[in-house]
Amino acid sequence: MSDFELNIGHFYPDLLNLYGDRGNVLSLYRRASLRGIKVNIKSISIDSELKPDELDLCFIGGGQDNEQNILKDDFVNNKGPLVKKMIEDGKVFLCICGGYQMLGKYYLEHDGSRLDCLGALDLYTEGADVRFINDTVYEYEGKTIIGFENHSGRTYLNPEGNCKPFMKVVKGHGNNGEDGMEGAVYKNTFCTYSHGSFLPKNPFITDMLIEKAMQNKYGSDFTLALLDSSVEELANREALKYLNV
Amino acid sequence: MLRSYLGIAAAKIIRKTLRLMGKGATTLPGKTAIKISPDVIRKSAEGKTIITVTGTNGKTTTSHMISEMLTSLGYEVINNISGANLASGIATTLICDGSKNKNAVYVLETDEAAFAKIAGSLKPTVSVVTNLFRDQLDRYGELTHTRDLIAGGIDKTDATLILNSNDSLVASLGKGRENRTVFFGLNKESMLKNSAYKKSSTVLEASSDAVYCPTCQVKYEYKSRSFSHLGDFCCPKCGFKSPDDRFSVVYDLKSSPSDEGYKFSIQDSLNSESNEVELKIPGSHNLYNTCAAVSAVTVLLEKLNSNSKDSFKSACEASCKVKAAFGRMEKIDIGGKKICILLVKNPAGLDRSLSFVTEASDASSVMFLLNSNIADGKDVSWIWDVDFESKANDLPSDIYVSGERFGDMLLRVTYAGRDIPSEFYGDMSNAMKLVEKALEKCEEGKCVYILPNYTSMLKLREMLVHRFNLKDFWE
Repeated sequence: MSDFELNIGHFYPDLLNLYGDRGNVLSLYRRASLRGIKVNIKSISIDSELKPDELDLCFIGGGQDNEQNILKDDFVNNKGPLVKKMIEDGKVFLCICGGYQMLGKYYLEHDGSRLDCLGALDLYTEGADVRFINDTVYEYEGKTIIGFENHSGRTYLNPEGNCKPFMKVVKGHGNNGEDGMEGAVYKNTFCTYSHGSFLPKNPFITDMLIEKAMQNKYGSDFTLALLDSSVEELANREALKYLNV
Repeated sequence: MLRSYLGIAAAKIIRKTLRLMGKGATTLPGKTAIKISPDVIRKSAEGKTIITVTGTNGKTTTSHMISEMLTSLGYEVINNISGANLASGIATTLICDGSKNKNAVYVLETDEAAFAKIAGSLKPTVSVVTNLFRDQLDRYGELTHTRDLIAGGIDKTDATLILNSNDSLVASLGKGRENRTVFFGLNKESMLKNSAYKKSSTVLEASSDAVYCPTCQVKYEYKSRSFSHLGDFCCPKCGFKSPDDRFSVVYDLKSSPSDEGYKFSIQDSLNSESNEVELKIPGSHNLYNTCAAVSAVTVLLEKLNSNSKDSFKSACEASCKVKAAFGRMEKIDIGGKKICILLVKNPAGLDRSLSFVTEASDASSVMFLLNSNIADGKDVSWIWDVDFESKANDLPSDIYVSGERFGDMLLRVTYAGRDIPSEFYGDMSNAMKLVEKALEKCEEGKCVYILPNYTSMLKLREMLVHRFNLKDFWE
């Protein structure tokens, strides 16, 4: 029996599972397990009850429009207030693409119709007709981060609002193709457009998320043991080489 | 009228010239003809007997099976298997490979989006839709959109539809078109019985497609499943369920469809008839492809020979004479050892191929090749949608990784729980060296399974031809 446990909440895995987002959960699972932490993955979908106390780290991916429409009501109206409180309380979240947009205030469709979102982060998204589909490279705390973006939404953060950009764009479009920034961070909630999957080739971020979740649970002096990352680093390096960066 | 003749003439001249230069010329002649006369497909399809095969997975295998079956039944068959499945490729096949024989049958593998555009011009007699799985979403967009495209194409024809009843998206194409739809699938009782053979557990289920009813937005309930979202589904709200099949596969997984000589039956519920057949191209997903091909051939024979009672029996017999095509499970003999290439282009394909290799009794090693050129989709994220985790431990002990994106694939295999020593991977320039190493370690009679995606397969073919002197062996 391990002394330490990590409970991952995987939101709507049957609906939000685009572009290998599943790989992010596998990354969290692997890098925590290899350190002797017992990892439980809990699926939270439309029929399931959300119990914040039973979750240490939450993941929300992106979905096809049709799939996202199915869950929007359940997410915003049923689970929304609890999710908002979890975010405020400093629970660790990683949200990708659709999951990212849903945490903002609203999504303004290309035809002018407005979809109200959760409003946990002070940002909004506007639909556009040109999709950003390309490999991406970002910089985060001196590290080179690799991803793949595929989104038509343009996201804008309120400069006076509660959240800050997550990463700096080195290659690709980022939030809106204008301000050179990618994603958003508020407390321990990290949002990005990066599919790809995001975490496997960026173990630095995987570890950061696990460590924050473990510190929330076991105290701020909890540190993760060192782990060999040579394959992750090789994949990161080879991807950069392939992209000529 | 004159323009289409001009287009046809131009296409023929281009084909001749390119062939003299040693090129395949499967696209350019048709492309030029369409430019000269947009109506050229309609013109050249007129009066021809055409079967189209569309769907995200199994198009080539099913088209190949239908072609071989019809050939063995004495028909002249013209198809586009060695060519291209977009409008330009199909125009090329119709114009340049067309036969004077009025009884010739054209078997046309058709890309989903192309089908929407040209189905009305082709006016096929029979249209097969194999299945709909996520496939390079960065290029094709959403699955429901693909389904709607196919529906649009279908409505411009009066073809008899051969639809997979186990795939909710494909089965929904039969709604409102009941009088011209024939369903095929795995037999529902059989599927339920086979649920007893437990699958290995996994850390995290594979990313699933189409498990919610698009009309009611409620999750389908399944009595049984074969794999992925295919199974005996039912919407608890509107009651839409996997329709009753005319043709269904009765099978038993006590032995493995991955082994050669696997036997099963196909049932024709309309005539209460059943025939035992042998699976000629191994892999459990080929139960679907074989059944689709038998359904299409039976229906075509009935149409051509005014409901001849022998049609189903003839089709079943013909299915036992099919041989594998290169790149589709064909085993290439190299000095008593074998190489088998399984093309994998999307998560469903990779999932099925992984299952196949774990079950194959002759597997010596497995090699993955990953590229991300435009024809592959620029996005390599799809390798994470596959449940590698539950199968990794049953893969052969030697795993090789190559391709332009070998770093991504190496990480994928590593995260599935298999460590790979550094002398077993490298970029595309190392691919041939790795194949040779795998062959060296391979025992007599055993097989090296290679799973490339599209452009890495083309490159690998070239290398194999060059290295082992296998002249044009895929044609």
